[in-house]
Amino acid sequence: MEKFEPVIIAFVCNWCTYTAADLAGTSRLSYPDNIRLIRVMCTGMVDPQYVIKAFLEGADGVLISGCHPGDCHYINGNYKARRRIKLLQEIFPRFGIEKDRLRLTWIGASDGIEFAEVMTRLNDQIIEMGPSQTSLSKVI
Amino acid sequence: MMIKIEQEDNSSSKGVQQFFKRLLEMQEIDAVFLPVRLKESSSIMPSLVTDPARIANAVLFSPAFPINSARMVSRLSYKVSGRKTAVVLRPCEMRAFIELVKLKQGAREELILIGMDCPKALTSSDYAAYMKKDSLDEDAYIEAVFSNKAETISGFDFSSACNTCENSFPVNTDISIFLHGVDLSDGVVAESCSDMGAQILESLNMPEAAIPEKRAEVMMQIKETHSKANEAMMADIGERTDSIAKLTVFLDRCINCYNCRNMCPVCYCKECVFNTDVFFHQPVQYHQWSEKKGLIKMPTDTVFYHLTRMAHMSHACVGCGQCSNACPSDIDVFELFKRVAHHTQAAFEYLPGSDENEPPPLSVFYEKEFEDVVGIK
Repeated sequence: MEKFEPVIIAFVCNWCTYTAADLAGTSRLSYPDNIRLIRVMCTGMVDPQYVIKAFLEGADGVLISGCHPGDCHYINGNYKARRRIKLLQEIFPRFGIEKDRLRLTWIGASDGIEFAEVMTRLNDQIIEMGPSQTSLSKVI
Repeated sequence: MMIKIEQEDNSSSKGVQQFFKRLLEMQEIDAVFLPVRLKESSSIMPSLVTDPARIANAVLFSPAFPINSARMVSRLSYKVSGRKTAVVLRPCEMRAFIELVKLKQGAREELILIGMDCPKALTSSDYAAYMKKDSLDEDAYIEAVFSNKAETISGFDFSSACNTCENSFPVNTDISIFLHGVDLSDGVVAESCSDMGAQILESLNMPEAAIPEKRAEVMMQIKETHSKANEAMMADIGERTDSIAKLTVFLDRCINCYNCRNMCPVCYCKECVFNTDVFFHQPVQYHQWSEKKGLIKMPTDTVFYHLTRMAHMSHACVGCGQCSNACPSDIDVFELFKRVAHHTQAAFEYLPGSDENEPPPLSVFYEKEFEDVVGIK
């Protein structure tokens, strides 16, 4: 059987996690290319709709990653994101999309190494979970 | 303070009408908002009454529940009108209105909120059929629902929202009208729950009453029965929608009319994203989707719409069932939303409409909370 290569959408904030990804790149660290980064200005602007759409379009995992508490460029965007993820993690499992397919992390701008490690761990975990059912079934 | 609303001509309903007539005749009160049977019609609609003579057609206790009036009361109160209105609401309407007050889409200042023990309801289609078969006698209905705890009315089941409701008693009111546990042979009981409520009841000079002895016990029994029904419903709807594939089948008759949203008292956005250009796709977009999947159902974005709605309103869902009532395709959307609401409300320990000072869960955030959500180990 062909090895399962998941599709993982990562919404990363401009100020912390995206900068960490940049740092990982310039440091020549590699991370799985199943993860597709979408740079947003702040995790606080990740509308629950973006996450829902990603899953319905067949994403196997969604990551939202921003600044550590207290570090948000916009003061509290990451706290808003945390409540929204909490909410979505209650909704998706009702319809068989496992809670652990939607993740939230804080990765600071200088944590290039941590970024590469976390992405690898996330990729491994999603591979272990297997394909999301939305990528298999037709969705209206 | 607790008073007795005595029967009038051997009728509790007429006694209650008299009570509201006297309220409306008070100088401080300009209008009463309550369900009224419209002339020569079987329809009982929430109405704003200013002529005391028109109170004679008020029907407080009936199986008619065409709309969650919280939205209407929001329209009456979101700005100052210079009028004092006494508003009569079912418990689920009251809770929805409190949610709207939190969102500044309504205000209590010019209102006297009057709650009542819930008289249950039929779905609108069942109500229409019931009125063809039977003429509504309000006193007989009160007897059936509150004294005999009837499970059906003229062979019609009450709506599943009512049968599974765990909060069918008045909360957050100025005045509450009690029927459960009350000896209805000599009228019903009204209790004041605020200073304003107490002043009004006092000025009416009606006989005082004591707390109905059996009330707590009866309330407990009702809660228990409804909780059991609720559990059974949750298990059933869970079984029917526990995967995206099953949810897709469950919603496959949905025509994206958005009636469930329009009739939802707590779907609070002034402009819904599903009415904006975001979902007015380019023609080529539909083709691309179809080419990817071989077929797309149109209208599109159905599951997307319902999941988004859950993200927006489930924490505030009061379980009134008007979404199912409004669905032209007869989809059990109430059951679907209530199941999700049960989980999202538990996650934030939030009971909508129970406390006016408790902020909606997505309107506040703190530095140290929900730390279990964060991190990949």
